[in-house]
Amino acid sequence: MAANFWTSSHCKKLLEQEDIAHVSPIDQNRGLTTEDAKIIKVHLSNYIRKLAQHAKVRQRVVATAIAYFRRIYTRKSFSEYDPRLVAPTCLYLASKAEESTVQAKLLHYYMKNFGTAPDEKVFRYEIKDVLEMEMRLLEALDYYLVIYHPYRPLVQLLQDAGLTELIQTTWALVNDSYGTDLILMYPPYVIALACIYIGCILKEKDARTWFEELRVDMNVIKNIAMEILDFYDNYRQIPEERVHAAFIKLPPRS
Amino acid sequence: MAELSTTSGRYIKGVTLGEGTYGVVFKALDTLTNRTVAVKKIRLGKYKEGVHVTALREIKLLKELHDPNIIELIDVYPHKRNLNLVFEFMESDLEAVIKDRNIVLSSADIKSYMQMTLKGLAQCHKKWVLHRDLKPNNLLIATDGQLKLADFGLARILGSPDRNFTHQVFARWYRAPELLFGSKQYGAGVDIWAAGCIFAELMLRRPFLQGSSDIDQLGKIFAAFGTPRESQWPDMTSLPDYVEYQYCPAPPLRSLFPMASEDALDILLRMLTFDPKSRITAQQALEHRYFLIEPAPTRPVLLPRPPTRPEGKSKPAEVASPAAPIVLSPPNKARRVTLFPGGAGGDVHSSGRVDTGYPFPSRDASGGTVPGETPSDHGEIPMSVDMRTTAGQAIPPRPTLNSTDRSYLKRKLDMDLAVSHYQEEQQI
Ligand SMILES: Nc1ncnc2c1ncn2[C@@H]1O[C@H](COP(=O)(O)OP(=O)(O)OP(=O)(O)O)[C@@H](O)[C@H]1O
Ligand SMILES: [Mg+2]
Repeated sequence: MAANFWTSSHCKKLLEQEDIAHVSPIDQNRGLTTEDAKIIKVHLSNYIRKLAQHAKVRQRVVATAIAYFRRIYTRKSFSEYDPRLVAPTCLYLASKAEESTVQAKLLHYYMKNFGTAPDEKVFRYEIKDVLEMEMRLLEALDYYLVIYHPYRPLVQLLQDAGLTELIQTTWALVNDSYGTDLILMYPPYVIALACIYIGCILKEKDARTWFEELRVDMNVIKNIAMEILDFYDNYRQIPEERVHAAFIKLPPRS
Repeated sequence: MAELSTTSGRYIKGVTLGEGTYGVVFKALDTLTNRTVAVKKIRLGKYKEGVHVTALREIKLLKELHDPNIIELIDVYPHKRNLNLVFEFMESDLEAVIKDRNIVLSSADIKSYMQMTLKGLAQCHKKWVLHRDLKPNNLLIATDGQLKLADFGLARILGSPDRNFTHQVFARWYRAPELLFGSKQYGAGVDIWAAGCIFAELMLRRPFLQGSSDIDQLGKIFAAFGTPRESQWPDMTSLPDYVEYQYCPAPPLRSLFPMASEDALDILLRMLTFDPKSRITAQQALEHRYFLIEPAPTRPVLLPRPPTRPEGKSKPAEVASPAAPIVLSPPNKARRVTLFPGGAGGDVHSSGRVDTGYPFPSRDASGGTVPGETPSDHGEIPMSVDMRTTAGQAIPPRPTLNSTDRSYLKRKLDMDLAVSHYQEEQQI
């Protein structure tokens, strides 16, 4: 798949930080800040994960769904695309695109039972809304649906480095990297390397020579590592009031 | 492009070209480019499951595949509650060519059609896409004579989560023996088998192996190539639906294709090899002597083809043949054995697994985890790092980290001690 990723639409669509951090004018007018946007994305990425656990889909589907979700908001506003509906719809679309379909009915059942706090009562979407949103999301994604993830390169790289005992730690780090927009910015194997880098520090493994032999830009790896650590630091646990403060700026459901 | 396409009126609808399983195809004029296009209108269910997965599959894969021998998906746009796929307009298809009695196909023509088919396939396989529905009517022919693979509604990316693929793919006559024996972990070889059948069909001008049932299909295959011996195809007996067939020797291939050259017979035999592991790959086939020596493949523009796209086509009736060998043992469906366990995780041609985005050669593929299998599949991997168990430990000195980095990281990790109980709920 080496040739595969490099020629994929995912690779061609990798974005720079500036493309991601900006808040659309319509959202700005509602007082939404970059920080609010970040919090909404973390909160709803967690929500996608929660729904997915109930629906018992594979991690790959979750990862694809979150990548769709994050990619959509590099192009669309929260005001026009209510993230509380977009998030479950991304899971629905990803489940189909990754060939493990979750029935709309079932998804809707979980949506009803596990709201997107803090105002879950207000936002009760129906199946019909999900299916309508599916079409809008396909268009927003410009119909590009293939996403590559760091999981497979991670397994291979760990084997290559002789560090398979780090699989648990690094796998979990990869999961948590979806709390950031990294998947939209870097090739998956680079994210995997950054997770191995953190894993080595945590578990006191010296993989210095191995990293040197790879001849990757260690500054890039370190930057990604810092971004992941920043997530643990500031976004792993967001106070409920802070989440609420961000969501309250979204328009009420029309 | 997406914005433009939503403004209705870009396409002026023309006549209906045909109807498929999940939609109608009509001819249209793209006013933006002045090109004639084919618009496939996908019927959506009654607000039950949204966009049909076959349509989604076709869109997803064609957005990644760009090749002169793969149909171009020009645009996709929603219209009312339907999704419309815009393809380049294709004048004809290979089935129409094969069936047209006014057309004489020279060996150079056949070579040209085969080369284009294999080029399209090689591109798919390079991108880990299996077509899985190769047959003459899915090989469309453009106005300039280029043959293009179409109908990706059954196609799959190798290594999709559902690693056990269904064997209910391909029209029966083009189905590889491993599929007929119920294999669920097949690879690119299934497409090559179908291409081999198409090659034979181009020479014979009728479908080569016309089985009337799966059992009969295998019978037809064995009647043509002999019942395979264990040494020829070691994995055969462990396939899920394996049944023993009465031994039947192979007639000389030459007797079935009296007009074919030695090289043509050789490449045909390599494409129709029983063991998918020994079957030739699309890339290897393109480098086969058959394509190197005379006659050179006919230039696509000069290929003979039917004057216009016929409106309705019907399949030839399936013919039962009495000459096929008979089944000796009853189907044994209880035996479920995984083909290709463990190894060769990076070979598209050997198994239903996928490689990684990792650009370096792996030194050791024999680690604890089977390539292509995610640890999460075993439910033993936490979804999130528990920093509490590790953060208290000192960070080892690592020359790749300078001291500033180190203290920064350490500070970060120490702070994480305060992080609480989030990850428990994330366990699978
Ligand atoms: N790009 C195209 N240009 C011209 N005609 C086309 C094009 N694509 C499809 N058609 C015509 O439309 C018909 C329907 O195509 P479609 O791919 O939907 O289904 P099918 O191949 O006939 O059947 P199935 O869905 O079972 O594969 C085809 O038989 C063909 O005649
Ligand atoms: Mg077809």
